[in-house]
Amino acid sequence: MSDSTALDTPPAQDAATGASGASGRGSGFDFATTLFRRRSTPQPPVYGQHHYLVTGLFLVAVALIAPEIAQSRSDQFLVNLWLVYCITGIGFYWVFGLAGKFAFCQTFMMALGGFMSAFLTRPDGMDQPFLVGVAGAIGITCVVALLLGLSVRRAQHFYFAIATLALESIGHTVFKEWTDFTGPNGTTVGVPPAKIGGTEFLLETEVFWLFLGALAIVLLLASMIERSPMRREAVAARDNLLVANVAGVRADRHQLMLLVMGSGLGGLSGALIAHWNGVIGIDSFGIDLAIGIFLMLLLGGSGSMWGPVLGAAFYVLVPDLLSDIERYSAMVYGLVLLAVVIAMPDGLVGTIRKGTEAVLRLVDQFRGGRPSPAPATADVGGGGAGLAAGEDTEIDIGGITGGDVDEVGPATPPSAGTNGGSHPAGDHDDRDDHEGGGGAAS
Amino acid sequence: MEKFVALTASGIAFGAVLAIVALGFLVLYKATGVINFAHGDLVTLGAYVAVWAIKEHDMPTVLGYVFALIAMFGIGVLIERIAHAPLRKRPHMVVVIATLAAAISIRGAVSVWQGSEPKSLPSPVGDGVVHILGAVVAYQRLLIIGVSAVAVLGLVALFQRTAFGRQVRALAADPDTARLHGVRARSIAMIAFGMSATLAALAGILIAPLSAVDLNFGFNLMVLAFAAAVIGGFGSLGGVVAGSLVIGLTQQLVGGYVLPAYASTLPFVLLFLMIVVRPTGLVELERSRL
Repeated sequence: MSDSTALDTPPAQDAATGASGASGRGSGFDFATTLFRRRSTPQPPVYGQHHYLVTGLFLVAVALIAPEIAQSRSDQFLVNLWLVYCITGIGFYWVFGLAGKFAFCQTFMMALGGFMSAFLTRPDGMDQPFLVGVAGAIGITCVVALLLGLSVRRAQHFYFAIATLALESIGHTVFKEWTDFTGPNGTTVGVPPAKIGGTEFLLETEVFWLFLGALAIVLLLASMIERSPMRREAVAARDNLLVANVAGVRADRHQLMLLVMGSGLGGLSGALIAHWNGVIGIDSFGIDLAIGIFLMLLLGGSGSMWGPVLGAAFYVLVPDLLSDIERYSAMVYGLVLLAVVIAMPDGLVGTIRKGTEAVLRLVDQFRGGRPSPAPATADVGGGGAGLAAGEDTEIDIGGITGGDVDEVGPATPPSAGTNGGSHPAGDHDDRDDHEGGGGAAS
Repeated sequence: MEKFVALTASGIAFGAVLAIVALGFLVLYKATGVINFAHGDLVTLGAYVAVWAIKEHDMPTVLGYVFALIAMFGIGVLIERIAHAPLRKRPHMVVVIATLAAAISIRGAVSVWQGSEPKSLPSPVGDGVVHILGAVVAYQRLLIIGVSAVAVLGLVALFQRTAFGRQVRALAADPDTARLHGVRARSIAMIAFGMSATLAALAGILIAPLSAVDLNFGFNLMVLAFAAAVIGGFGSLGGVVAGSLVIGLTQQLVGGYVLPAYASTLPFVLLFLMIVVRPTGLVELERSRL
């Protein structure tokens, strides 16, 4: 799987990376690669992002800091809301960020998961334990997403967006009318609180640990995907379907998989919300939330699993901070989004990374006492250590412009013979992305 | 029989409004390649501008309508300047997201400006009704059908008979070649945004007197208009009009007779099946043209 040679590194860049490797990667940013450089099978640069380590640190930090700063009930509520939005946001990141599918149905999946779990657990429903409800929620959303993905697999871009918009609208009416399943006026009341073993999660502070645990599992899963060949191939297919297909990437399979898994996370977060609030109504999963999920991903950055995490924090915090001018919040969101799209196409995460990278490069220059030669720097940007600049910066799904001749350029299969397959294919999505973006921008 | 006539009339009237929404959307798509998710909120905004002019500034009804149409042309051009011009060289997806941002901003601005309670817009023909074959049909519906027909014919003439229309068609067929031949893509983009917003406002104004104007009113219309455009093959003017009528009649007739509770989902079911079975629409065209 990982040795799809057609996506291999062009020899010139290979050499450049090798030459500048010491200075570029020794910047402390890409430590693991430096450490393991001598191994016969070099580590893919994506491993240098230390997903597991960062995830662990993040979780510990949240576990330590959040209970300290969130003393009031409303603050605890916001933290919990943030955690649960992170889950759905990461799911949406898989669907939209990686698979490049403009899906409007994430809120539908959340509602479906919530109603399913509520139906399974509530006393006048199936009266099952909490975990069965959650499993049912994830199961049903995965199945529905699978059916959706299979039935509209021929639909591209805009048509896919419209199909999901249609599904969302259908779902809204069905949930409202099918009162045996949901409840009067599309609202289920009396959803039992979450309970695992003998522990009941009732207070906001208790729910916090439940949600943090769920987010931990999700982040672990997300890290695995970030490191996997599937991500690389999905990104390749997203940016240029034609070339990816020619290179042997099973694009449709990856996209279906990501859609199913992302929707499953939507279902999970919906179920968690239902058990947390004790009530779930279809009206809270309307178009506003759908746009909100988009905002989370785009503000945070659609190129990294940390984008939705950061974006969700922004989305949860801003209305709270701006509570005096709450009626302006929608307008503020819109204008902020517009500004982000125009000025910061990589979202917050991308911009922060670029800044970090620039600083590191500067530090490197001072320490080395010589300015890095220009080509090497440029290569760092495109190659290994440039994971920041390259890989994670794309809003350019390339979707609608896909097949554009300009964009084919960077991804053109190189002469595979000369580099003998010694290079990890994992090097590649970074560069692809980066230059794809550059090409499109020029 | 009365029921049938009444449902048919409202189906055609609704379809006519959808056709206007869809055409406004398509004009922009053809001229600039932009899929504008703010179109629905432009529909809402147009209706609110008319409400504002007529209710709060006591303009005569028709004058208020005309004012709203002209104002919306300006707003369309403004949106082009803010959300499209700076992104001209960027990938399409970015532009689509920018339109989504514009949609959120417009919605937020309207909610600040007019509040979130539903408003009503007076009709220029009053609340009168006419009896056709025993069925009661509001004058407003006849007005909708008439105005829409005129608007559609006007658009056809514009695109088939004028230099502007020829240039837009050239841009739709092949943007690069069109530019090489001296088509002024930028000014056309501005005009197209303005026209698109005007058409959106026209649709909003026409349908508003039949229901209340609220913040989601335009968005729902836009989604249905997407459906109409997709069913009509996403390109041909006639196809879009036919698709709109299919949607309007399906919703009213099938919904009215068989499944009242689920009437509003029928167009979406139709749309979904359409995308599943024929992702290219009913009217398949080799090259999209207006």
